Amino acid sequence: MTAPIHSGLPATGFDHEALFYRGDAEFLAGVLPFVQGGLERDEAVVVAEPAPRLALLRDALGDDAHVVEFHDMAEIGLNPARIIGVWSAAVDRHTTAGRGLRGVGEPAWHGRRAVELVECQLHELLLNHAFGSGPAWRLMCPYDEKNLPRSVCHGALRAHPVRSTSTERTASDAYVPDGHAAAFAAALGRPTDAVLRGIYGPGDVPATRRTVAQYARSCGLPADRVDALELAASELATNSIRHGGGNGTLAMWLESGAVVVEFSDAGQLLDPLIGRTMPRQDQEGGRGLYLVNQLCDLVQLRSSPSGTTIRITTWR
Amino acid sequence: MRAQGLLSEVTAVGAGDHVCWVNDDPGAFDAAVHEFVAGGLARGERLLCVGERVIDSLRGENPSLADMDTLLADGVLETLTVAQAYDATGRFVPERQLEFYDAATRRAISDGYRGLRVVADVSPLADDPARRTDLIRWERLADDYAAHGPGMSAMCLYRADLSPEALTEAASGHPLVHSPDHVPDFRIFFDDGRLVLAGSIDTFGADRLARALASSPVSGATVTLDLGRTEFIDLAGCRTIATWARQLRGRSVQLAVLGASRLVQQMWQLLALADVAPVTFLETPA
Repeated sequence: MTAPIHSGLPATGFDHEALFYRGDAEFLAGVLPFVQGGLERDEAVVVAEPAPRLALLRDALGDDAHVVEFHDMAEIGLNPARIIGVWSAAVDRHTTAGRGLRGVGEPAWHGRRAVELVECQLHELLLNHAFGSGPAWRLMCPYDEKNLPRSVCHGALRAHPVRSTSTERTASDAYVPDGHAAAFAAALGRPTDAVLRGIYGPGDVPATRRTVAQYARSCGLPADRVDALELAASELATNSIRHGGGNGTLAMWLESGAVVVEFSDAGQLLDPLIGRTMPRQDQEGGRGLYLVNQLCDLVQLRSSPSGTTIRITTWR
Repeated sequence: MRAQGLLSEVTAVGAGDHVCWVNDDPGAFDAAVHEFVAGGLARGERLLCVGERVIDSLRGENPSLADMDTLLADGVLETLTVAQAYDATGRFVPERQLEFYDAATRRAISDGYRGLRVVADVSPLADDPARRTDLIRWERLADDYAAHGPGMSAMCLYRADLSPEALTEAASGHPLVHSPDHVPDFRIFFDDGRLVLAGSIDTFGADRLARALASSPVSGATVTLDLGRTEFIDLAGCRTIATWARQLRGRSVQLAVLGASRLVQQMWQLLALADVAPVTFLETPA
């Protein structure tokens, strides 16, 4: 059933909407009224878009642009696992102050690599889980229907309870409540090229991080990427030893334009949001993964009763 | 700058030396003691040897040293047995040890020597879990005194059959280390008014680092931790430093961190460690 939803009404609960657009005019026709509607209600408005549409929106907003918080999605969403942390901080900042919040976020822009779009889909599903039972706010996620692969737009319909264009707004028939659970448990695709693989256990953390650093260096990655991967290796191998059954497997391989390092162990992570939001100072655990998400280019985490895999892709 | 690093043998001696020597090979130990002591004599230092094992070493074949009895008779060399050094005064108290060595160093200088060079067997203290905490504290006080005091240098002897944990803990608190079977992942020592952290720190060494930091003597309004020789430090290591900064702040002491890598500063910012305690990051002077 498709039920009309009146966009003029204040949000109750988390309102997560996919806006499908074809070209800049439709993008503005969809996003601008949403942003202006928020400003008229004195809601905080946070926009995270790739640079070209950030500029487009700024120009269109004119004087109103200075009250809007802008983020370059190519920075905060380079690794899509970082984006929920940005929204979570905005929700905390504004709703605890009693203010309404509207967000615009386009993680799945045209031109992103296929593997990044997969993580964008998981991110969109996880948004419902992260904010579904929290304070009310609205998030509009623009999708470039003209240029994105059709599978990505179909994925957006499954991840958003509401679908819209510049002219209509309806419930999404394809929406899958709790769709994140299956996506979080799904196995990652297997590498197609030669893989270097090794097992680590207690006492092997220094050797594991040095192995990863050496591999990253030999692949020609710059020093800051090598350092980030070395730290990631130390944190993730430590997690396997402490929480993942005492040992794990390291796999490293090359893909077109990328170096991939993967850690897997027999443990299961029950919280699919682990590492996506900033841990509190008194919180036990989650910090290593948070750091890895912040420092690495693309992090794919999957966990199920058969084990946990964390795959880090670094672009060359 | 003090000598620091991993040793296979003693080839040179200098001011402020502080060596941890794990005696895995008696011949190598004897050779190291002879070089250390001969170097001290050449520098015009008085010698103090503590423990029967050290005294035995000096009494052995020793072409580079004058006759031991002559050295004793001339007051160049003093010796103490383990019982005289550690058991005679009852409980081992690090601060009392420091008073003893400070007095001996100042006496040596007033007697015309350049300083005091000590070779001491501390194994009996490391062997006893009840006294190990005091030993760690003593090693931190001794390292500060060797680095910044009037002229003491020391070689600490540890038996190789001590537990790996005890040996690693001991070795971590010295700038110069000979411990082939238990190479410490990091060493923490004083140099030029700073506390230097050399090597690698991960989750599994973080508690040891916390103990070393907590037992390090600090004075003044600011203490400087030098990470310029830190090859790697993980999140647990950074949190340990932040926690120490908070403890220092409780004593009105600020922590300045020198030579931290970009990654360490990124971790600090990403994890809001400044909320635990504010820390000033200083660039290493060019």
